[in-house]
Amino acid sequence: MCSTLRKCGTYRTEVAGHHDHGSTFQGRKKDGNPFQDNFDKRNPRYEHGGRELPPSGCQENDGSVEMGDVHKDRQLRHTPYSVEHNKKLVKWHSEVRIHTTTWRNRKCPERKMMEDTQDRKTSAWFKVTIPYGEKYDKAWLINSIQSHCSVPFTPLDFHYFQNRAHFFVQGASTASALNNVNYMICDDQNRKICIFVNHSSAPFSVKNRLKPSQMELLKLTMDKRYDVSRQALDLQRLRFDPDLTGSDVDIILNRRNCMAATLKIIESNFPELLSLNLCNNKLYQLDGLSDITEKAPKVKILNLSKNELMSVWELGKVKGLKLEELWLEGNPLCSTFFDKSAYVSAIQDCFPKLLRLDGRELSPAVTVDIDSSEFMKPCEESRNGFETLKHIVLQFLQQYYSIYDSGERRGLLGAYHEEACFSMTIPFNPEDSAPKSLSQYFGESRNIKVVKDPDLRGQLLRHTKRDIVDFLGALPKTQHDLSSFLVDTWYQTKRMLCFSVNGVFKEVEGQSQGSVLAFTRTFIATRGSNSSLCIVNDELFVRDVSPPETQSAFSIPVSTPSSSSEPSLSQEQQEMVQAFSAQSGMKLEWSQKCLQDNEWNYTRAGQVFTMFQTEGKIPAEAFKQIP
Amino acid sequence: SRKFRSNWSQGDKDTTKEVTIIRRGHTPARWTREEVVTPPLPGHAATSSLMATPMDFKTYVDQACRAAEEFVSIYYDTMDKRRQALTRLYLDKATLIWNGNIVSGLDALNNFFDMLPSSEFQVNMLDCQPVHEQATQSQTTILVVTSGTVKFDGNKQHYFNQNFLLTAQSTPNNTVWKIASDCFRFQDWASS
Repeated sequence: MCSTLRKCGTYRTEVAGHHDHGSTFQGRKKDGNPFQDNFDKRNPRYEHGGRELPPSGCQENDGSVEMGDVHKDRQLRHTPYSVEHNKKLVKWHSEVRIHTTTWRNRKCPERKMMEDTQDRKTSAWFKVTIPYGEKYDKAWLINSIQSHCSVPFTPLDFHYFQNRAHFFVQGASTASALNNVNYMICDDQNRKICIFVNHSSAPFSVKNRLKPSQMELLKLTMDKRYDVSRQALDLQRLRFDPDLTGSDVDIILNRRNCMAATLKIIESNFPELLSLNLCNNKLYQLDGLSDITEKAPKVKILNLSKNELMSVWELGKVKGLKLEELWLEGNPLCSTFFDKSAYVSAIQDCFPKLLRLDGRELSPAVTVDIDSSEFMKPCEESRNGFETLKHIVLQFLQQYYSIYDSGERRGLLGAYHEEACFSMTIPFNPEDSAPKSLSQYFGESRNIKVVKDPDLRGQLLRHTKRDIVDFLGALPKTQHDLSSFLVDTWYQTKRMLCFSVNGVFKEVEGQSQGSVLAFTRTFIATRGSNSSLCIVNDELFVRDVSPPETQSAFSIPVSTPSSSSEPSLSQEQQEMVQAFSAQSGMKLEWSQKCLQDNEWNYTRAGQVFTMFQTEGKIPAEAFKQIP
Repeated sequence: SRKFRSNWSQGDKDTTKEVTIIRRGHTPARWTREEVVTPPLPGHAATSSLMATPMDFKTYVDQACRAAEEFVSIYYDTMDKRRQALTRLYLDKATLIWNGNIVSGLDALNNFFDMLPSSEFQVNMLDCQPVHEQATQSQTTILVVTSGTVKFDGNKQHYFNQNFLLTAQSTPNNTVWKIASDCFRFQDWASS
């Protein structure tokens, strides 16, 4: 039997974990007593502040089944739950089971209430349980339920426990209306969401509401900690504030009632709050804090350092805040990451617009959202929502091909990983021999449908960046038509990116000089910290062009990179090109040309551009097509 | 084939001569090839997680080629003849980009392949590379690139290019390869 005590320093002992009576019955536990199961699986970090009373409609005398109010600390300190206690609870709950089953068969709660001999207040409390609710975002869930519910309701004490979501509502008619929402909502994977509603005692934050005198004291304390000039509220170590410890006010922010009171004061007194410091408050969970998205939505700076947050999932509960600065160091979750960049990435996933984490500036995260598109119609760039990645990819391709076409391909050494792989192929047509235009590549083609010898297969796969760049250097000199490029970004994780480029190029020397060929090149690259890409796999497929492709190729001037003596674009120059392209609407290579012609003087280039544009001197092909 | 299987776990077997565990044409009807299965990865055979000997690059490459060949023969065959079983080759969260259109997740993939008319694929080119573990966080992955022709019922024939990322799921007895990502395009996408 697990002890439910946890002595922690000077804190008074508290019950760890929370009984979830309602869900116990709904849960389908095959072995053992379901209640026992729940009891053992206490989540020590979750602190709803104690057990609820069991559904009280079922017994005449409420008081006798109350196994001890956990807030009577005296009791707890000295009397851990004994085995006998458990047995009683167990037995009691198997009796209750029947009632709850009836409830699940959707008998009207009002009728049920009238059957009670218990003298109860008219506004009874109900606990709503959503099994597997853990995976749903709080705001989405509440909004979805509200939109299907005939009666408006106010969810109180919304929290997650194990894999369920819970909240409390008041009033039998509300409960009944919510019960009817069961199976009416579909999640984004088309699974129906279950909603169970059960009798309950009042939620913790209501039952243990701060008295008006306590609220007043808290408000005064918070006033003292408020910095008007920065609109910042410093609540670190709030519990031990001398003003509070002197009186009988114990503000344990991890407890729902205290957090709710604090947020209430913030909402009424500091609604324009920008910065909130909750450092060192022994916060194990952020369920209580999640209400901040409604009470103080303008908060941009949040300090949660030196708390007890175990996972990034907790942060998801406040992701409604548009945070610019976040402090998390000193939480257990910080040491669960493999490395710093994984930690930063995970936080950025939660708060995409975050600028500073633990005092350090962050490079802006790449956000990805997927949007759907029509079937079967081939379309231009894959509209897969990797729009922000496109800049990284396009920038990479620009750089890559400017070196590739420059004649000095050794410059590509910097683009490849030490142990990168490269291979190339040409199409194999069983009927004809290789067309003349591809004859140079014939011997290098690693088509494993044709090449069966394992040694030869091994040889044709270039390994290590030196080998690769040497091999590439030996290929004919080329000129690629960047405007013909079509890029599919087809797989990405935080660490890597896969994309395929389809396009055409011209051979500018050698026996096939002037011939235009088409290619598909697949890159797999790891992502570095500053949006840099490092190629680990590179596969090139070269084929003849079809007549329509020849026509469109090279029809508009491309800024040809000059000889190898010209250095490739610096970081700043690339950024200028991007910005210029975004502002003018011209394609990247045209923007680059304009900037280059104006000696990288952005303002002058802009003036020149505007002048030419008004004079109608810029051809339509210079501009990016609007998808 | 059971006899063969038990020998693979000895580890020092010459792995260049093995045979696919399930052989086409020799199996009872219910053993149709619906999974891409190759012998266990070297190093995985003995214990589940610790690699007895690190894989050398050549072995990686050979393994990738084997898996790619096996995969391609099953994939296009299934696509042409047993279309309803095709999504079994994909991971749950796999994504397909088909001529620029995104199809993500098994449900969407099922719908998509249902809608796609019946096909006749002819693969003329196949290349593969083992993907560097730095990109995949030690999840064994290979890049497969194919090209050829396809004719969808009611449409003209097209040349196509396709690439796949296959990831390995190792068990002591074998390795099952599944598609993590798939990118398909007609070569003449612009004019179709």
